[in-house]
Amino acid sequence: MSELIRETKLQKALAAVGRGAVYMVMSLFALMTLYPIFWLIMNSFKTTREFQVSQLAFPKAPTLQNYVEAWKMGDFGLLFPNSVLYTLGATAGIIFLSLMAGFAFAKLRSRATKPIYNSFVIGILLTTQTLMIPLFLEVNLLGLYNTRLAVLLVYIGAGLPIGIYLATEYIKAIPSAVVESARIDGAGFFTIFLKIIVPMSVPVATTLAMLNITGLWNEFALINILVSKTELKSLPLGIYKFSGSLSTDYGKQFAALTIGMVPMLLFYMIFRKQITKGVAAGAIKG
Amino acid sequence: MVMPAFVLYLLVMAFPIILSIMLSVSNYSGGRMFGGEKWGFAGFSSYVRVFTDPWFWNALKNNVYIVLISVFGQLPLGFIFAYFIYSKIVRAPSFWQGVLYVPNIISVIVVGLLWQVIFSPHGPIAEIVNNIHASSFQRQLKAIFDGAGGFSLSDDVIKKILHVAGPSGQAMFSNPVPELKDLLASYAGQPISEIYTALSNLFVQKWSPAFLTRTDIAMLPVLFVILWMYTGMYLILFLANMQKIDPQIIESARIDGANEGQVMRYIILPALSGTIVNSAILAISGSLSSFALIFAMTGGGPSRVTEILSIYMYNNAFLGRPNFPLANAISLIMVLISVVLIVLTKAVEKRYGGKEE
Repeated sequence: MSELIRETKLQKALAAVGRGAVYMVMSLFALMTLYPIFWLIMNSFKTTREFQVSQLAFPKAPTLQNYVEAWKMGDFGLLFPNSVLYTLGATAGIIFLSLMAGFAFAKLRSRATKPIYNSFVIGILLTTQTLMIPLFLEVNLLGLYNTRLAVLLVYIGAGLPIGIYLATEYIKAIPSAVVESARIDGAGFFTIFLKIIVPMSVPVATTLAMLNITGLWNEFALINILVSKTELKSLPLGIYKFSGSLSTDYGKQFAALTIGMVPMLLFYMIFRKQITKGVAAGAIKG
Repeated sequence: MVMPAFVLYLLVMAFPIILSIMLSVSNYSGGRMFGGEKWGFAGFSSYVRVFTDPWFWNALKNNVYIVLISVFGQLPLGFIFAYFIYSKIVRAPSFWQGVLYVPNIISVIVVGLLWQVIFSPHGPIAEIVNNIHASSFQRQLKAIFDGAGGFSLSDDVIKKILHVAGPSGQAMFSNPVPELKDLLASYAGQPISEIYTALSNLFVQKWSPAFLTRTDIAMLPVLFVILWMYTGMYLILFLANMQKIDPQIIESARIDGANEGQVMRYIILPALSGTIVNSAILAISGSLSSFALIFAMTGGGPSRVTEILSIYMYNNAFLGRPNFPLANAISLIMVLISVVLIVLTKAVEKRYGGKEE
C-alpha cells in the first residue's frame, strides 16, 4: 500500500518535471516568435545612429521622425488605399463568385459540372506564383499591365479554387429541400441564390474573407509583376523598396516594416478566432 | 452561374499554362507578341539549357531543403505543440495558439527584411556576441588589477593585459610593453571602470561573425525563418483536428489502462493520418512555389547560393537580358512537379482517405 503511494508520488513528480520542461520549450518558442517583432518596433523609434551604437537597448529618446520620413519616402499615403482596395475588392469578388459557383456545383446538376469542378480542385495545388512569367506576358498581351483591373482579376482568379471548394462543400450541406420548395414557389435560380443561399452561407463567407484578407494584404509575388507605377502599388511593394539602397538607413527601414506589419497585427487581434477557424478549414485542401 | 468564375479561372490558370508551353519552345525575345518582331518554333533548346545549367540544380536543391524543413520540421513541431495544448499539459490554449501563429499574419516581405537585418554581420546577433566578448575581456582585466592590488603599471600587469588582448591586440604596437605602459599612464586618475571600457574598446575587435557571412551555410538562416514562420499554421491545423476526436474514446481508453503513448499510438495518430498526409502535401506544394520570403531576405544571394526555382525563373525573365523561353520552360517544369504532386495526393487520399472522418 505504501509502495503504491510512493509510486504515484514519483509519477506526480515526474509529471511536474515534464510539464515544466514542456512549458520551457513552448515559452522559448513563443519568445523567439515575439521578441523579433518587439525588437523591430522598439528600434523603429531610434535614429539610425542610435541603432548602430546599440541595437538591444531601449530607445533613449524615442522619435517619430522615422515614421514621418518613411511614410513620405515609401509613398504609403498612396499605397495604403491601394492595398485596401485590392484586398477588399478581390476578397468580395472571390466570395461572390465562389458562392455562385459553389451553389451551381452543389445544387444544380448538369453534365459539365463534374469536370469543371475537378479542374478547380486541381487548381488548389497549382499555385499561381509558379505561373508569374506567363501571367506577366499575358497581362501585357491584353494591354492590362499597370492597371488595377489586372491586379483584381488575377487575385480573384487565383483565389477561386480554394474558395469554390470550400463554398461547394458548405452549400452541399444545406438541405436540397430548401432549394426545391423555393423553386416550386416559382423563384428563379438567381433569386434563390441571393435570397436563400447567400444568407445561409455567412459562415463559409467569413472563412473565405479571413483567408483572403490576410493572404492578399501581404501578397507580393503577383502584384510585383503586374504593376510598376507607384500610384498603383500595394504596401508590400512599397516596403520592399526599403530593402535596396535604403537598407542601411535602419531607422526608416524599421519604421516602414512596422507600418507594413501593424495593420495585420491589429486585424489579427480583433479577428483571431475567425482567422484560426479559417486556417483550419482552408488548409483541408488537396 | 459557374461561367464568370470559370472564365476568370481559365484566364489566370489555363491560359498562362498554354502560353508557357508555346513560349518555352520558341525564340520569343520580348516586345510585342503579335505584329512585332517575328518569332517561331525553336525546339526544346530551352529545356536542354535548363537541365544542363548547374544553377537550376542548385535552385532545385534549395527547394528540396525547404521541403525537408517543412515536412520534417514544421509538421512534427506543429504536431507536438498541438498535442501539448490538446492534452492540457500546458494551460491557456488560445494564448499559445495565438502567439505561435503571429508570424503567419505578417507580410513575408516584412519577415524577410526583418530577419535579413537580424542575421546581418552588423545585426543584433553580432552585437550580442560582441558584448559577450567585451564583458569577458573586462572581467579578465578586473582580475589582473585585483591581483595587483588596484591600478598598477608594473611590467607584470602590462604583460598580463597584453596576453589577454591576444595576438591581434599585441600587433597594434611595435614595442608592446612600453607603449601600453605609456598609454595606461595617460589614464591614471580616471575611474577604473572607464579604463576597462577604454581598453576593451581598444582591444576587443568587433567580432566579424564568420558564420553570418559564410556562403556554404547561407541556407540555414533561410530554413530557420521558414520554420519560424509556418510552424504555427500546422499547430492550428493539427489542434483543430485533434479537437474533432470524440473525447469519450480517449476517456474510455484511459479507464481501460492505456497510457499517453498508447493513446497517441492507437487513437490520435490514426485519427489524424489524413490531416498529416494533407499537411505534408500542402507543405510540399507551398515550399515549391515560395518566392517572396527569400526574394526579400536574400534575393537569392550571396552569389546565388540561396536561389530557389521561382527566383531562378524570375531572374531569367527580368534580370539583365530577358530570356522568356527559358523562364517559361522553368515555369512549366515547376507546374509539372506540382502535377506529379497532385497525382500523388490523389493516390495517397485513396489509401488513407477512409481513416479520416
